[in-house]
Amino acid sequence: MTANTQFRNAMRPSRRTVLRGAGVAMALPWLDSLPVWGLEPLVMKPANPFPKRLAVLFMACGVHPKHWWAKGAGADMELSECLQPLEPLKHKLNVIHGLFNKNSTGVGIHPGQTGNILSGASLQKGAELRGGISFDQLLANHLGQDTAQPSMVLGCEQPITGYHETNFSMAYSSHISWQNATSPVPMEVYPALAFDSLFDNRGSRRNQSVLDRVKEHAESLSRQASAGDRAKLDEYLTSVREVEKRIERMRDVQSNAAERASAKGKSLIMMPRPDNGLPEDIREHMRLMCDIVALAFQTDKTRFATLLLCRDISGLFYPFLDVRNAHHSASHNEMSDDWQRVTTYYCSQLAYLASRLDAMPEGDGTVLDNSCLVFVNNMWSGSKHDSSKVPLLTAGGLGDTLQTGRTLDYSADGDENRKLCSFYISLMDRMGLEVDQFGDADTQLARL
Amino acid sequence: MALFISTYRIFRTLAAVLCGLMLVTNFDVYAQQSDGNRSTSKITAAELENAFNNVVRPYLASYCLDCHASEEPEAMLDLSGYQSANDVGQAHQTWAIVLERIEAGEMPPADATQPRDEEQAAVIDWIRDTREFEALRNAGDPGTVLVRRLSNAETNYTIRDLTGVDIRPTDSFPVDAANEAGFDNTGESLTMSPALLNKYLAGARQVVEHLMLLPEGFVFAPHPVVTDTDRDKYCVKRIVDFYQRQPVNLTDYFFAAWQYECQVRSADAAQDSLDEVARGHQISPKYLRSVWELLTDDENAFGPVAKLQAMWPARVDMQTDAARAQCATMHDYVMSVRPQLSPPIDKSGIKEIHTGSQTLVLWRNRQRAANRRAFDPSILEETAKVGDESIPMDPQQRAAYMAAVARFCDVIPDEFFVSERGRDYVDEDNKQQGEKGRLLSAGFHSMMGYFRDDGPLYDLVLDAKQQHEIDTLWQQLDFVTSAPMRQYEGFLWFERTDSGYMRDAIFDFARPEDQQAQSAAMIEKLAEVYVQKARENGGEGAAVEAVEQYFRDINTQIRWVEKARHDAQRSHLQAAIDFAERAYRRPLTALERADIEEFYQALRKIVSHEEAIQDVIVSVLMSPHFCYRVDMAPASEPLRPLTDFELASRLSYFLWSSMPDAELLAVARAGTLHQPDVLVAQTRRMLQDNRVRGLATEFGGNWLDFRRFDEHNSVDRERFPEFDDELRQAMFEEPIRFLMDLVRRDQSVLSLLEAKHTFVNAPLAKHYSLLELEFDNHDWLRVDDARDVGRGGLLPMSVFMTKNAPGLRTSPVKRGYWVVRRLLGERIPPPPPNVPELPSDESKLGELTLRETLARHREHASCAGCHERIDSIGLVFESYGPVGEVRQFDLGGRPVDATALLPDGRQAVGLDDLRKYLSDERGDEFVENLIRKLLSYALGRGLILSDELLVRDIHSKLTSEGNRFSVIVECIVTSPQFLNKKIAMNGQPK
Repeated sequence: MTANTQFRNAMRPSRRTVLRGAGVAMALPWLDSLPVWGLEPLVMKPANPFPKRLAVLFMACGVHPKHWWAKGAGADMELSECLQPLEPLKHKLNVIHGLFNKNSTGVGIHPGQTGNILSGASLQKGAELRGGISFDQLLANHLGQDTAQPSMVLGCEQPITGYHETNFSMAYSSHISWQNATSPVPMEVYPALAFDSLFDNRGSRRNQSVLDRVKEHAESLSRQASAGDRAKLDEYLTSVREVEKRIERMRDVQSNAAERASAKGKSLIMMPRPDNGLPEDIREHMRLMCDIVALAFQTDKTRFATLLLCRDISGLFYPFLDVRNAHHSASHNEMSDDWQRVTTYYCSQLAYLASRLDAMPEGDGTVLDNSCLVFVNNMWSGSKHDSSKVPLLTAGGLGDTLQTGRTLDYSADGDENRKLCSFYISLMDRMGLEVDQFGDADTQLARL
Repeated sequence: MALFISTYRIFRTLAAVLCGLMLVTNFDVYAQQSDGNRSTSKITAAELENAFNNVVRPYLASYCLDCHASEEPEAMLDLSGYQSANDVGQAHQTWAIVLERIEAGEMPPADATQPRDEEQAAVIDWIRDTREFEALRNAGDPGTVLVRRLSNAETNYTIRDLTGVDIRPTDSFPVDAANEAGFDNTGESLTMSPALLNKYLAGARQVVEHLMLLPEGFVFAPHPVVTDTDRDKYCVKRIVDFYQRQPVNLTDYFFAAWQYECQVRSADAAQDSLDEVARGHQISPKYLRSVWELLTDDENAFGPVAKLQAMWPARVDMQTDAARAQCATMHDYVMSVRPQLSPPIDKSGIKEIHTGSQTLVLWRNRQRAANRRAFDPSILEETAKVGDESIPMDPQQRAAYMAAVARFCDVIPDEFFVSERGRDYVDEDNKQQGEKGRLLSAGFHSMMGYFRDDGPLYDLVLDAKQQHEIDTLWQQLDFVTSAPMRQYEGFLWFERTDSGYMRDAIFDFARPEDQQAQSAAMIEKLAEVYVQKARENGGEGAAVEAVEQYFRDINTQIRWVEKARHDAQRSHLQAAIDFAERAYRRPLTALERADIEEFYQALRKIVSHEEAIQDVIVSVLMSPHFCYRVDMAPASEPLRPLTDFELASRLSYFLWSSMPDAELLAVARAGTLHQPDVLVAQTRRMLQDNRVRGLATEFGGNWLDFRRFDEHNSVDRERFPEFDDELRQAMFEEPIRFLMDLVRRDQSVLSLLEAKHTFVNAPLAKHYSLLELEFDNHDWLRVDDARDVGRGGLLPMSVFMTKNAPGLRTSPVKRGYWVVRRLLGERIPPPPPNVPELPSDESKLGELTLRETLARHREHASCAGCHERIDSIGLVFESYGPVGEVRQFDLGGRPVDATALLPDGRQAVGLDDLRKYLSDERGDEFVENLIRKLLSYALGRGLILSDELLVRDIHSKLTSEGNRFSVIVECIVTSPQFLNKKIAMNGQPK
């Protein structure tokens, strides 16, 4: 692939999933993926039998600074109050301190600290958006071609635009995944539509309708053609038929996989299609989105997901936590018990998704073992809008490439050695994408 | 034609004379016979056949087949398989080469057994006769032109002309193969595969990412418009661009009014009307009248009006420049007094409602907008001054003064429009520093929202058409971006969070994430409780009314978008059908229209309206009717004229590499395009159009072999740091500019070789040491006397010098080859294998210069045959370095030597001598080659023998008409080859 086509691909929205993907019915069982993939030479590579997956969960406006810490390693690892939901999974957890994005410091609070959280790019103020491609999308562009969807970009809160007082567009507050420097990836906030996008193959069905139509055009032309002309048209027709066949083959592979899984009598957990519209309760909304990520990973519909649990300057409410202020207002009182409960609640979302994936056997381990879940926040402190270091957790061993059960602290390593983008380069490298330079970094993160 | 025959006859006569002196052999018999026949009748097939057996076969056996037969024939030329004269006729292209080599005396080679002269002459005659026979037998045959897909380049140009934006979806496609003539526009070379079809699908999807549905029809945006932010960007930019195009500089109006007034006063009978003056200054006639009336308004000659009138130069004699300066002073005066005359606005608030909330910000915006031309005398009470002028105390004078101020404010608004707005509730300094670039923003706290404030521009400056245009743009903004819905969603979020106004439980029903919250009923319900709380909090009067108005307005706007979206669906489908018609470059049949409609309806069962329209467009772009050129002949007519629509496409893909435009299609629709005068008129029109760039790039680029130079990567940029992407692009552009200019000014094609001029932009000018030229931005300038810096015409263009140099040295071989092969059309066989490579860096040549190295090479007899024809021409270019730079020393530090012994034996020094040689000796070859190339390109096939007559006709017509480029084009487009379609001979109709 030339640099030019790479660039061009990076310019393309990832939602264009041409002729990929295939489908099974609306209600899909939780598949035991090992035997399914074991029978699928099409997707499997012998050297790396299980795909590596990445999901980023985003929380905004900081954490409770006092109750966000970890000590030690392995079984002796000690977790602070806010991290307690992760206690059962702590051997698969890394708590990483002290990383940051240089370009999100000293430029003005909120949007300027958010729109580049996964890109490390410098953001432009005013009407024209300009930042950089996020690392999840870079991965999807290069490694997302084998799955129904190159990536999934989900959110639990609608994006907004408008201008923040810092003169950054509020679009930066709403989007962490960017398809290129100027456009965010459209974010799906409706669980039902996110579910559909995985399983109803709308993209391939639409393409198939188009192909059927143009095939008719060619056939009718061919009937009037001389032999010489017909040979040229047949070239076209054959190509159309061949492409259609590929779509069908993909679909067959997928449905066979589903059949085999159910025939083996594995325990089937059903996920019905979520209702249309947005769930009333944010707890329900987040749970469904986590379920969809889990389902997508298990069935290998996609390998790269981002989930914006809330946007920056979020207006989410937490009556069930007995917090009357909305997210952003509550974050300004970061040392409060209210904010501790909110922080803990967000950690429990990571714990939920991680435990879901950990309950899915894959090879000798679980889907979680072949994944890396990244939990990241745009600030350390909500009242001070401090992004000189950001809260960061990872869960999962990424196919034995990421050691877990550790507390890593880079606070004292100097700015050059504590870049978030170095962390991203390390993750991309372990997933099979070698990148010399990304955002503001050109080295991997030490000790990871 | 006449020329050809006369030389041929002389040749024949000579041959006949020679015969008499020699032994009578088969050769002589043939020569005598055909000579005798020629004078009375045409050559017959039987004679040719007879001579083939008696003359040609023995010749081949004796002198050719030793090398040119067997498994690995020399130069990959196998002459062993020809069994009849007809076989030779079929392979006329190969035999043209044979003829050329024998005529040049190169074959048989010097070290082989040589034929007698008369043997040689007879074979030459026979090959010529055979070609003549073949050529005349089918002269004008359209030949077989297969159905073919558009090339990648044609697809890009066609998409550009179809959508109005240059999306270039095929840039990432694999490069199209070229045919034998070097062009990538023939059915033989343009193939389709499943992998490529997938790319077509991806390309079509890429195009529809630019599709934007409007209240009426749709357009394609220059960038993808998938996300809200992209759509905002597009719509906002169009509005802001519109504003910025408007003439609102007061200096211009004062000045134009002055010129008009001067005319009025001079009582010149032939004076321009005020409208004409306005047009001359490119300003609004309507507003010029208002300004002129203000400046000549004697009744209101008080205060600022009087000040302006006094400053206005019309009242005194003045030179133009001084008048202009004086008008600028008037402008300054306006700027100094106008701001203080704006009426104040009510900025009161309501307890708990955030000062940056939509309700209050919009209220303040509306007041400001309403005040742009208003005047309130009470604001002057305190200072009692306008500028530094005191207001008269006398009540009557004071009243007249105030009336004049009101008149001043009415004609000269405080702003014509507002295109950028920060938050109005933070202090000015803060805003000016930080809040730039919020285009059309309403100025809310954090929330998105737009506010239109252009009343003075609209009422004072714009004419009805422009008013409609800007109204439409604002409607499109709402329609395309869902601005009212998003704004209201932001309102619900903000009022519950950053503002605490809606945190009470009573507001819990209104949630931003709930689509139902946007319904009319829910908005009304919220308005009720919101206003109730406002009253409870002590709100009253205009502030509360403003809040009520907010809910009414936003509801109206949301409902408008909903209804407009619904109402527009029909127009989108109609636009898609129109799109298909343009894409297919012909009228649709009723069945095809119905088919599109039916496809849309079927799609609606699985996707939304917008997606269904997208898929219809994708299907149009994927259809063979779009991506193929289908001029199919019905089986009943093996040879037929093209229909007018087919002819339109043939013409436009020839001249533009793109689809026909509206005018060409209209002529086709009228059914007159095939009439020669109409056809020629259209051709002339099209040659003047900018799209002729397609011809310059695709024909010129492939003919002259620079088509992919914009991706050329063989230059060592460390050694040649001046060769950056900009210079590379400029080099690529130079021949395109040159060709386009030649075509449009219809110059002699010989000027390609002989011209003294060329075209440069800033980077190229620097490269060419044209340091005194000045450029605006990306301008290209014509340089008339480019010879001074060693340029002019095609030959010394740096693109060719660079393309034909392998990086760190020049290549006289490649450069010479380029001249003889590309420009003169000579065929040079490939070099034999195992020729040692020259060093890649001329600084590493050791003792010998490149010239000496090559000379040594030519000492080998097997190399000399070809290299003597090319090296010398290439050596003339030695004073141009590896990136085409003029140089005195080569990279090894040796002085360059641009002398050479040219093929005709004359000594040449530098490019001027080469030009002279080419003009004197090779002009006909150059012209004929160009004719052949252009004809092949136009027809979309390789040339066949039956085209020979046409080539000769064009050549002679061209010579008699000053070698003008259009002569070739007009001859081609009116030829039977171009106008007709032949069904493939082996076609079996069903």
